[in-house]
Amino acid sequence: MRLAALLAGLVLTALPMPVGSADVPHLPKRPMRVMSMNQCADQLVLALLPPERIASVTWLSRDPDGSLMAREAMRVGINHGLSEEVVRQKPDLVVAGSFTTAATRVLLRRMGYPMIEVDHAESFEDIRRITRQVAQAVGEEAKGEALIARMDRQLADLARNAGPRLRVAAWDGAGFNASEGSLYNAVLEAAGADNVANRPPATSYGRPDVEVLLATAPTLLVKGAGLGRKPGLRDNVERHPLVRRYWDGARTLTIRQATYQCGTPMVGDAAIALRAELRAAAARVKTPLPFASARDL
Amino acid sequence: MNRWLVPVLTLLLTGAALLSILAGTVWLTPGQTWDALLSTAPDLPGLIVREIRLPRIILGTLIGASLGLSGATLQGLLRNPLAEPGLLGVTSGASLGAVVAIYFGFASSFGLATPLFALTGGFVTAGIALLLARSGGTLALILTGVAISSITMALVMLALNLAPNPYAAYEIMTWLMGSLSDRSWDHVMLALPFVLPGLVILLLTARALDALTLGEVQAESLGVPVTRIRLMALAGTALSVGAATSIAGSIGFVGLMAPHLVRPLVGHQPGRVLLPAMLAGALLVTLADVATRTLIFGGAPLNIGVFTSLIGTPFFLWLILHVRRRTA
Repeated sequence: MRLAALLAGLVLTALPMPVGSADVPHLPKRPMRVMSMNQCADQLVLALLPPERIASVTWLSRDPDGSLMAREAMRVGINHGLSEEVVRQKPDLVVAGSFTTAATRVLLRRMGYPMIEVDHAESFEDIRRITRQVAQAVGEEAKGEALIARMDRQLADLARNAGPRLRVAAWDGAGFNASEGSLYNAVLEAAGADNVANRPPATSYGRPDVEVLLATAPTLLVKGAGLGRKPGLRDNVERHPLVRRYWDGARTLTIRQATYQCGTPMVGDAAIALRAELRAAAARVKTPLPFASARDL
Repeated sequence: MNRWLVPVLTLLLTGAALLSILAGTVWLTPGQTWDALLSTAPDLPGLIVREIRLPRIILGTLIGASLGLSGATLQGLLRNPLAEPGLLGVTSGASLGAVVAIYFGFASSFGLATPLFALTGGFVTAGIALLLARSGGTLALILTGVAISSITMALVMLALNLAPNPYAAYEIMTWLMGSLSDRSWDHVMLALPFVLPGLVILLLTARALDALTLGEVQAESLGVPVTRIRLMALAGTALSVGAATSIAGSIGFVGLMAPHLVRPLVGHQPGRVLLPAMLAGALLVTLADVATRTLIFGGAPLNIGVFTSLIGTPFFLWLILHVRRRTA
């Protein structure tokens, strides 16, 4: 009995503060030391604010493979998403991702730091919503709207001169395919490509197997880079002799991870660049795949 | 029954191989398959049969044969029904070798690195296991296996932590579940020079294993070179299981199940279990591989190791209870 009471007491004290309660400190109107603890939020913060108003962004944002704002990120401090860094850098607004650094977020909320949590964007609509959320939190609504308007103009342009759709099989650096409803797939579609890797006969969220590639005969393989040359299992299996024979060289397009990873208004630029890359790669393909039906190149 | 066992198992294995050549993402008819085998045209059925499914069947057979035969040999050698490459930690030792080879760049600069590292890992762990499990019965054997597996898995985790590739942990989790998808003739060529000698060495221990049922001292007095037999079992297991693991990841419980499935049919004589156990192992892995391609739940295909473990774990528990009842 005493044990039960003790346990109940322990559980109660261990519970975090109720989410969204009145104790959340009110956010400053015009924060001057913004700290971003999420790679994708980093890019929004960097696009919306001048460097002197940014306390730090994550260390990931300095990698040009993964970030569209790597150059800007070099001019501000960095963090690793740790609460100790928050205490040291004394931000007046923390921007965190709603999926990552969960323990840090609970701790920061309990310590009373002003914080907003940003979702991961999976569509252009998400991008508009998140950009508005962050822009409002940092007091730069007009700039946020301008970024969104620019992206919408770019997407409309792309949709207007659509041209023939390209059949591709696309996956990212980790080997997950650009699945239905992901931002990667949305960017591919905006750029004018149909991904055969995310629909039957392909079965999983992973890279399609060689049988699927043979059966669907995509014109190009689109792979997310972002790893450099780090040895891994994929060297062993991804490079099946058939893939080497039929898709290596002209039929393989390796794109930057930054193209599809983060939902920021800058993906408009990324989609334009991707379309140019796709067109150029498809133009280099001369002979049809011997096992494809006649209509596809 | 006895006389028919090997032909029947061979026939079943052939049937499973035929099923395996037809089944998959693209289902083929027997007619298409036949044409594909005879032609060299780069059309869809031709490429699928010749470049994807044939190497896959051969690899499945080789790997299953390695696991079944080494399981039977180890059970005979240690006179223990629970001995098996997976339980003794040989598979995890081989995994450790393969992980080091793959993630630290040895595999990409030198093709044979993965099987060589894996068989080194297998050799070391099998050596330790045989040394520790030789005396002391079932409990010592299980404890040895648990200890070796935990140490090697801890080292795998350490290797993954140190690996420069950020996706290493995810990749290796799937890899450790065992898979034959997207393997090619390259992998067959890589495995064959290690698996075949390994199998031959293991088969050569048959006569001595029969004598060993009397006990090591008695076998020695009958003129059986016990030390050499032990070394042969060690080398054969390391060669075949090491190479198999380096190609397909770890596929558990086949080495445990295969000998037990055929043992009642050959009359509990360890030497005569070897060949049927080898065929039964090949059959189990081939069938499990067909199952991974045909039974798809909710999108993602399951891995071979998942199938063999699902069948193998209840079997293992039953075996432990059975052994305990018999020895208590």
